[in-house]
Order: sequence, then C-alpha cells, then structure tokens
Amino acid sequence: MRRRKLPVRTSNASIKANDALIHALKTHQIDAIVGERHIMMVRLKQTEEELENSRDQLRALAARLQSIREDERAVIARELHDEFGQALTSMHLGLSWISHKLTPGQQPLQEKIRSLSATTTSLIRSVKNIASELRPGALDELGLVKTLKSEAREFEGYTGIQCGFKTNLAKANFDRSAAVAIFRIVQAALTNVARHAHASRVLIALVKKKDSLILTVMDNGKGITRKLISSHDSLGITGMRERALALGGTFTLTCSRSKGTILTVQIPLPRVVIGRAP
Amino acid sequence: MKARRRGRERTATAKGATYVFRLFVAGKESNSALARGNLARFCEEHLKGRYKIEIVDVLEGALTAHKNSVLVTPTLILLKPRPKVTVLGNLSDTRQVLAALRLAGDER
Repeated sequence: MRRRKLPVRTSNASIKANDALIHALKTHQIDAIVGERHIMMVRLKQTEEELENSRDQLRALAARLQSIREDERAVIARELHDEFGQALTSMHLGLSWISHKLTPGQQPLQEKIRSLSATTTSLIRSVKNIASELRPGALDELGLVKTLKSEAREFEGYTGIQCGFKTNLAKANFDRSAAVAIFRIVQAALTNVARHAHASRVLIALVKKKDSLILTVMDNGKGITRKLISSHDSLGITGMRERALALGGTFTLTCSRSKGTILTVQIPLPRVVIGRAP
Repeated sequence: MKARRRGRERTATAKGATYVFRLFVAGKESNSALARGNLARFCEEHLKGRYKIEIVDVLEGALTAHKNSVLVTPTLILLKPRPKVTVLGNLSDTRQVLAALRLAGDER
C-alpha cells in the first residue's frame, strides 16, 4: 500500500504556538509535560527558589557564625590582655623589686629571680601576640591599609617569602566588619601561601574602583588543583569564600603551574563603607 | 486510564454567547492552581453567568490531554465561541490572556 506523504505545514499559527510554548517554558509557567505514555513533572522554578533560599540561609548563618566568632575572639583577647597581661606585669615588677632587695651574698637566689623574670617577660610577649592574633587591634588603631602593610612585612619576616602590598587607598577607613573580613581573607591567603604554595614572591593588592573594591593576593608558587578549590574539605578556601559572600561580594581563585595562584575578592562598594580617615 | 473530568458548570442565562473552556492542569501543582484561580477570576469579571469551565487533571489520565494535543499543563482551550483558542501557562499575564480570549475591552 502506498503511504501518503503528510504535508509539512509551517503556518503562522504553528510558529505562534511554538513561541507560546517556549515563552511558557522560559517563564517557568509549566507544571508538567504530557507525553504519549507518561507525564513529566516540572518543578524547576520551585526547586530553584528552594535552593536559592537554602543558599541564602546558609550564607546568613555563616556570616552570623563569623560575627559570633569575631566577637568571642575579641572577648578572649581582652581577657587575656587585661587579666593575664596585668598579672604577669605585676609579677615581673614584683620579681624586679625582690631582686633589688637581695644582698650580693644571695647569688643563687639572684640567679633564680633573673631566670623567672626572663620567663615572665617571654610570657608577656606571648600573651600580647596571642591577643593580637585573636583580635587584630591594629585594625582599630591603624586602619585596614596600614595593618595589611604591616601584615605583609611580618609575613616576609617570618617566612622569608618576599611580600609586597599595593593600594590606591592611602587614607581610608573601612567599617569594622568589612575590615575584619578583608584582613582575615588576607591572613588565610598568606597562610595558604606559606604552607602549600612553595612560592618565593607574593603580592597583596587592595584597589578601589568606581563601584567596587578589589582585593588580590597573587603568588608565583606551584598553584593548587581545581579539585582542591571546589572541595568542601578546603576549610581555608571555604572560609574566605564565605566571608566574601557575606559582604555581598564574589570570590575567585585561579591558578596555573607556571603563574602560581591568584585570589580575587570583589566587593560592591555600597556594602563596604569607606570613609576618609580622621 | 480514562481521564476523569470534573466540570464546574455555570451555564449562562444572560444574553450573549456562552464561553466554554477546558483547562488542563496537573493536580495541585503551583502553576495549575494559579491558572484555575486566574481563569475563575476572568470569568467572574468578564463573563458572569455565561461561561462553562471543564477542568481536566492530566495526573488522573493523560488520554484526554493527548486527544486534545495538549503537551504541557496548564493549558487552557477556549472551545466556544469559535475560533478555538489555546493559551499556555498560568494565565498570570492578564492583558495577554484577555486579548487571546477576545475578552479585552469587554469590561462590565
């Protein structure tokens, strides 16, 4: 039997119908696709919204946790400085007083006091370092730019890795939370460089553009793998990303064996209050 | 399986043509629920007393949908008055839907 060929119609009506279908699919107005033998439920929009809500909640939670962590660090730093610092200073002064009261004949006692005094001085220095690590007081005193400069210098001092800092923000103050976030990102990035990069040079750049603030930390090390970048086990990277997202910014990490690693954080300026330094 | 039709019949007594709609939905899915609500609202606002809506739930049987060449839900078909019109989506774009159903400018 001869099969009759069906006429192929591409009328205006069918084009309109196709357009209507595409529009309905694009605007997520479709619940189900009805096939000859099955019905496929389409819950894309709902799922997308749920996913986005869930992400927003996680980000908010992460930001809240960071904030609580910073507050707790500040409390511990203050306690350390005020309680231990004061007590150790009193002890040091006391030892010095006893030392002056000793007679030349009490040589062994004199030696013991000198040794205890040295230990106390070392403890005072340690307490100061821990307190400053817990809460970078320099951020309040010097502002972000100078603190980053000092951090770069210290990093170079204790790792031997040449560390530069560049900025076009000579006289600017940031709001506290943004400054802490940026400082912590730089700290984490430098820790990663020192631990994993095998780099000989690292450059920190903080640049204010028209509508955003861009922080870049780049090194000439061996780079890191893409797998490690997206891994949830990379807590340092996850922490940096969360801090950037909490400021409404973006976080990117690019790397290659020849060029090392480049970390870029871009924060929209209305989210970060930058004022002139007093 | 044969599709079960749940008709909400409100036949007109008023003058003018009776509009007969067939709305294909997928259970209580969000867009289907929106389409039901929007269609009921349009009908009450523009065709009070002279419309008939037949709801076909494709989850209870896709045969009717297949026979009517319905590929997605929600799909609204205006069966009468002729010519037949098919509108896809949740009917939330009031102006376009009313234009398609030839109801624009029929304000009362």
